[in-house]
Amino acid sequence: MAHAESDTADLGKASAPGGRMNFWGALLQNGAYQTLSNTLFKTQRRQFVMLASLPLLWIVFANLGPIVEMFWIGFLDSYPPKVGYEPKLTFANWAAFFQDRVFIVPFFRTLAFSLIFTVITLLITYPVAYFLAKHVKRKNQLLFLLLLLIPFWVGEIVRTYAIMILLGNNGAVNLVLKSLGLIDRPIPFMYTGFSLGVGIIYLTALYMLLPLYSALEKIPDNYLEAAADLGAGAWTRFRRITLPLSKEGIASGCTLVFLISTGYYATPVLLGGPRSTVFAETIAGFFHVAGDQWPMGAAFSSIMLIATLAATGIFLKLMGRGGKGMIR
Amino acid sequence: MTRHTRIVMSVVYWAFVIYLFVPLALMVTMGFKDSKFIGFPIRAWTFDWYATVMQDTQVLAVFGYSMAIAVSTTVLSLIIGTWMATFLGPNMFRGKAIVFALACLPAVIPGIISAIALRIFARLIDIEPGMLAIILGHTVHNVPFVALVVMARLSTQPKSHIEAARDLGADSIVAFFRVTLPYLKPALIGAGIFCMLLSFDDFVRAFFLGGYQPTLPVLIFAKLRSGMSPEINAISTIVLIMTAILGLWAERSMRRLNKGS
Repeated sequence: MAHAESDTADLGKASAPGGRMNFWGALLQNGAYQTLSNTLFKTQRRQFVMLASLPLLWIVFANLGPIVEMFWIGFLDSYPPKVGYEPKLTFANWAAFFQDRVFIVPFFRTLAFSLIFTVITLLITYPVAYFLAKHVKRKNQLLFLLLLLIPFWVGEIVRTYAIMILLGNNGAVNLVLKSLGLIDRPIPFMYTGFSLGVGIIYLTALYMLLPLYSALEKIPDNYLEAAADLGAGAWTRFRRITLPLSKEGIASGCTLVFLISTGYYATPVLLGGPRSTVFAETIAGFFHVAGDQWPMGAAFSSIMLIATLAATGIFLKLMGRGGKGMIR
Repeated sequence: MTRHTRIVMSVVYWAFVIYLFVPLALMVTMGFKDSKFIGFPIRAWTFDWYATVMQDTQVLAVFGYSMAIAVSTTVLSLIIGTWMATFLGPNMFRGKAIVFALACLPAVIPGIISAIALRIFARLIDIEPGMLAIILGHTVHNVPFVALVVMARLSTQPKSHIEAARDLGADSIVAFFRVTLPYLKPALIGAGIFCMLLSFDDFVRAFFLGGYQPTLPVLIFAKLRSGMSPEINAISTIVLIMTAILGLWAERSMRRLNKGS
C-alpha cells in the first residue's frame, strides 16, 4: 500500500462518486466506531476471539446443551420437578430398558429395519446415480438430477400420505392388480413392515443418491478406459475401479440414510402397524400417551442415540479399513 | 460400457423417476374426487375440496403460523450459520475437527431424539411449548446446513477481495458487509430457501415442541389420524406446489452460484 495517508475514506468515496460519503464511509470516519473497532480487532488474536465467540456459544448452548440435559434427566427419578419433592438420582430408567421385551423388541426392530432399508436404498439408487454420473451428457445432468429432486422438497407427512394412497386396500396398486385379474381381494399392504419400508425408502432415497452421484461423478472416464484396454471385463472394472472409488459416497450415503430412518416418528405411526412398532413410538409414548414419564423417555432416547452413533462409527471404521484392502 | 447395460441403466433411472412421481400424482388426483371416500376408482370430479380449504379459517390460520415460524427460523439460521461458516471456514486452530463435528451434530441426530432432547431443554430454559420453542428447535437443526453451504461458497472467494478492501481502509466488519456478504449472496438465497422448506415441512420437532396451535404438517397428521379425506389432498397439493416453486427457485440461485465460482 503506497498511499496510506487518506485511505480511510476511499472505500466510501469509491461507491459514492458524488463526493458524499455513504453509510459505510461515514461509519469508518465516526470516532466512536473507530475506538470500538480498534478495541475489538486490534490484534489477530482478538479478532479470532470475536469471530469464535458466537459460534462456540451456540454449539455449547444449542447443540450440546439439549443432549447433555437429556442424559442428565435420564438419571432422575422424577421430572419435570414436582412441588415439594426433591428428585433423587437413580439408574432405574436405564435398567428398565433391559428388563422388558416391550422395549427391547422395538429397539432392535428399529435398528434392523433401518439397516435393511439402508441396504435396499443403496441397491436401488446406485444404478440411478451411476446412470446420472456416467451416461447422461454433462449439460443434461442437472436437468435429470432436478427431476429427482422435486419430489424430495415435499414434506415428510405429505409424502407419507401419498404412500398411503398408493398402498391402501382401495389404493392404486391393488386397483391395478385387480383390474389385471391377478387378485380377487385386495392385498393388505398397509400397516406392515412392508408399507413402512416403502415409505421410509421413499423419504430417504435422496440422501443416498446425492453422495453417490457426487462420488461417481468424480471418477475419471479414462480410468475405466485404461482398465478396459488392459483386458478387464465389465464386472472387474466395476469391482476394482468404480466400487472402490465410490466408497466415500457409499459410506456417507449409508450413514445419512441409517441415522435419518431411525428418527422418523410420523411415518411409522401412519404406515406401520402393531407388529412393526419402532422405538420412536416407544419413546414418544413416555411424553404423550402414558402420562409424562420424562426420565424414562430421556434415558431411552439416550440409549438410542448411543446405539445409532456407535453403529455408524463402527460402520465408517470398517469402510475405512475395508477400502484400503480394496484398492490394490 | 456395453449398449446393453446402458439401456438397463436408463430403464432403472426412469423406473425410479416413476416411483418418485406416481404416489404424488395419485395424491394430487385424489383431491379432485367428488366423494368423501378416499380410494379408487374415481367416478366423478370436483373442485369443491379446494373451495372448502380456502374457506377453512383454521387451515388458513395454521398456514400463517407455519409461515411465521419458517421465516423467523430462516433469518436466525442464516445469521448464526453464516457467522459459524466465517469462523470455521478460513481459520485454522487446534481442535477444529472436533468443533466442526459438534457444529454438524444436529444435522445427523435422528429426528425423534433431537425433538425429545429439545423438548426437555425447552423446559430447562423455561420456554413454553409453542412458537418460540419450535423456532429454537428448527434453528438448531438448520444452522449446520447453512454453515456448510456458506463454507463451500466462502472457500471459492479470492483472498484478494478482502485484502483490497482492507487496503482501502475497511476494518473487518465493513470488509465483511461490503465485500464478503455480497459475494455470499447466491449461497445465502439458496440456503435460506432450503431453511424455509426444512422448517415448513418439519413434523417431528413441531409435534413435540408445539403447543395447542398446530403447524401445517402437524394439522395434516392430526387430520390423517382421524380419517383420510380429499380435503387433506387439497391442502397437501397446495403445499406441494408451493414447495416445488420455492425449491426450483433455490435450485436456480444455487446453479448461478456454481457458474459464478
